[in-house]
Amino acid sequence: MVVRDRGWNPWEGPVTATSRRFLVLTRYALKDVFESRVFLAFYILCLLPSAAAALAIYFSHNTQFLEQFGGLDSWFAKAPDWIFLHLFGWQAMPAFLVAVIATPPLIAADIGNNALQVILARPIGRRDYVLGKTAVIFLLLSPITWIPGLLTFILQALLAGGQWTGENLRIAVAFFVGHIVWIVVVTMLCLAVSAWIRLATFSRGALLAIFIISAVVGRLVNGVTHSSIGDLLHLSRAIESVVLRFFGATPPSALPSPANWLTLVVVVLGALWVLNLRLRAVQEIK
Amino acid sequence: MQALTISPNSRAQAGTDMRKAPPLLEIQGLSVRLGGRTILDRLDATVSGRIVGLLGPNGAGKTTLVRTLLGFLKPSSGNAHVLGHSLATDRRTVCSLIGYMPEDDAHINGMSAVRFVRMMGELSGLPRDAALERTHDALTFVGMGENRYRKVGSYSTGMKQMVKLAQALVHGPRLLLLDEPTNGLDPAARHRMLELIQDIGHEGRTGVLLSSHLLGDVEAVCDEVIILKAGRLAGRCDLASEHESARIFVDLETLPPSPQFGGTLARLGCKVEERGDGRFRVELPSHLDVRSIFAAAADDGLALRRFERTRDSLQDIFLRAMEDDRGRS
Repeated sequence: MVVRDRGWNPWEGPVTATSRRFLVLTRYALKDVFESRVFLAFYILCLLPSAAAALAIYFSHNTQFLEQFGGLDSWFAKAPDWIFLHLFGWQAMPAFLVAVIATPPLIAADIGNNALQVILARPIGRRDYVLGKTAVIFLLLSPITWIPGLLTFILQALLAGGQWTGENLRIAVAFFVGHIVWIVVVTMLCLAVSAWIRLATFSRGALLAIFIISAVVGRLVNGVTHSSIGDLLHLSRAIESVVLRFFGATPPSALPSPANWLTLVVVVLGALWVLNLRLRAVQEIK
Repeated sequence: MQALTISPNSRAQAGTDMRKAPPLLEIQGLSVRLGGRTILDRLDATVSGRIVGLLGPNGAGKTTLVRTLLGFLKPSSGNAHVLGHSLATDRRTVCSLIGYMPEDDAHINGMSAVRFVRMMGELSGLPRDAALERTHDALTFVGMGENRYRKVGSYSTGMKQMVKLAQALVHGPRLLLLDEPTNGLDPAARHRMLELIQDIGHEGRTGVLLSSHLLGDVEAVCDEVIILKAGRLAGRCDLASEHESARIFVDLETLPPSPQFGGTLARLGCKVEERGDGRFRVELPSHLDVRSIFAAAADDGLALRRFERTRDSLQDIFLRAMEDDRGRS
C-alpha cells in the first residue's frame, strides 16, 4: 500500500525551475541520438578537420619540424591564414551531415504517436518545446564547429603572439558569428522538416533536397535572366556569401549582402511558420 | 445559462480536506468556437467531487472541454479555474495540477515505459531521482511488471492505456482528466482500468473527471455526473445519492394501452413518466401499497401486462436529460 500511495498522491517536494525545464527535452533527445555507436563514431570523425588544423598550426610554428621537411616549410609557414580560410567549410559539411542524420526524429517521433499532446499538457509551452529541440541541434553542432574553431584560433594566438592575435581577431569573430548564423539556419530547417515529415528517411532526403533544389533553381534563374537574381533562391550560396563576408573574403554571390541575408531570414521565418502550424497539441479546424 | 453545483459525496472518505479547499474545477461562462461552430456554449459548472463523469453524445463538447482546460484550445469567452488557479492567467500552474490521459495513442516510439513516464514526470517539474522513483511507483500502481522496460510501441492496447494512465499520475496531479480511458480495452482490462480509477478517486487526494460516452463505465465508478449536449449543460446527477436513496420505481404497461391511467396513478400520489403505448415509469410514494395500483387498474378496466420493479439507471437519467434539453430548445 505504501508504494501505491506514493505513486499518485500529489508531489510535495521541490520542483525544478520552469525556465530550465526545456532542457529535459534536450537531455532525453541527446541521449537518444548518442545511443547509436555508428553515429558516435561518425561524430568523433567530424572532429578530424579541427584536429588536423590544430596540428598544422602547431607544426607551422615548430622550427625543428620545418627545418627537417624543407619542402614543406613554405606551405606550413602560410598555414594559419590558409587554414582559417577553409576550416569553416571543412567543419560545416560534416556538421551538416550530423544534423541530417540525427535530427529528423526529433519532432517527428513526438508527433507520430500523438505524444505532443501529453508533453504540452505539462507546464511547458510550445516555445519551451521548440527551445528544447533547438538546443539539441545547437549542442550537437557546436562541439564540431565553432568551439574547436575557436580553440584552434587560441592555439594559433598562443603560438603566434599578441601582434598576430590583435591583427586577426576578426577571424575569431567571423568563426563564431558565421557558425552561429549557419547553425540557426540549419537548425530551423531541420526542425521544420522534422515537424512536417514523419518518416526519418524522407526527412533526410528532404533536407538534402532543399539545398540541392535551391541550388539548381537558383542557377537556372541566373542562367535564364543573365543576372544574379537567382542567388536569392540559392540557399547554400547565400549562407556561404554571408559567412565569407564575415571573414572579409570575396563572396560567391554578386548580390549585395542584404539580399543574402534576406534569403536566410525568409528561410528561418518559413521554418518558424511550419513549426507554428505543426506544433499543436491538437489540430484546430479553422 | 444554467449553473451546476456538485458537492462532495458521502463515499468520499478522504475528501474532508478537499471541502475546505477551493473547488477542483470552476467553469464560468466558457464558450469555445471551432471552425465557425460553437462547441461549448457559455458553460457554467463547479466540480468538487471525487470522481465526476462527463457524459454526452458524440459532438457534445466533452473532449473540447478537456482540451480547453489543458490550454490546447482558447476559449472565445469565459474562463475556468482549477483549484483556484485561473486558466487564462496561470496556465502553467493549472497544467502542473492536472494529469491528462488522452483518448488516442500517446507515446514516443523507441522509448520504454519507464523512460517515457520519467520524462513526463521531469517535464512536470519533478527532480530526476524523484521522477524515477515515482515512475516505478506509478507503473507498479497500474500493474506494469517487467514489461515496463520494453518499448511502448510494442505494447498491446491495454498496456498502452495503462502507460498513459501512469504518465498522467506520475507527478501526483490534483485533478486527473481521463478521456475515454476504456477505449479499445477487453472486458478484463476494462474492469482493471475502472478499478484503478476508483482507487485513485476514493483513496487519494486526486479528483477525477472522466469523460466518456459509455454509460456503464461512468455508472460503475463515478459519484456524480455532468451531462453535456451541444456544448451546453443538459443535466447533472449525484449518482451516489441516487444509489443510496430508497426510491422505488416500477415500469408498467397496461392492456389495452391507456394514457389516462397516468392520471389515475398521479391521483394515488405517484410520480409518473409516460413512455407511450400505455407504458409508464412510476415512482412509488413510500406509503403506497403496490396492490392499490392493481386495484386502480382493475377499476379502470385495464389489465397490467408488465409490472417490474427497477431503479433509475444512468441511462434513464441521461435520456431524460437529452429529452429535457430538447424540450427547452
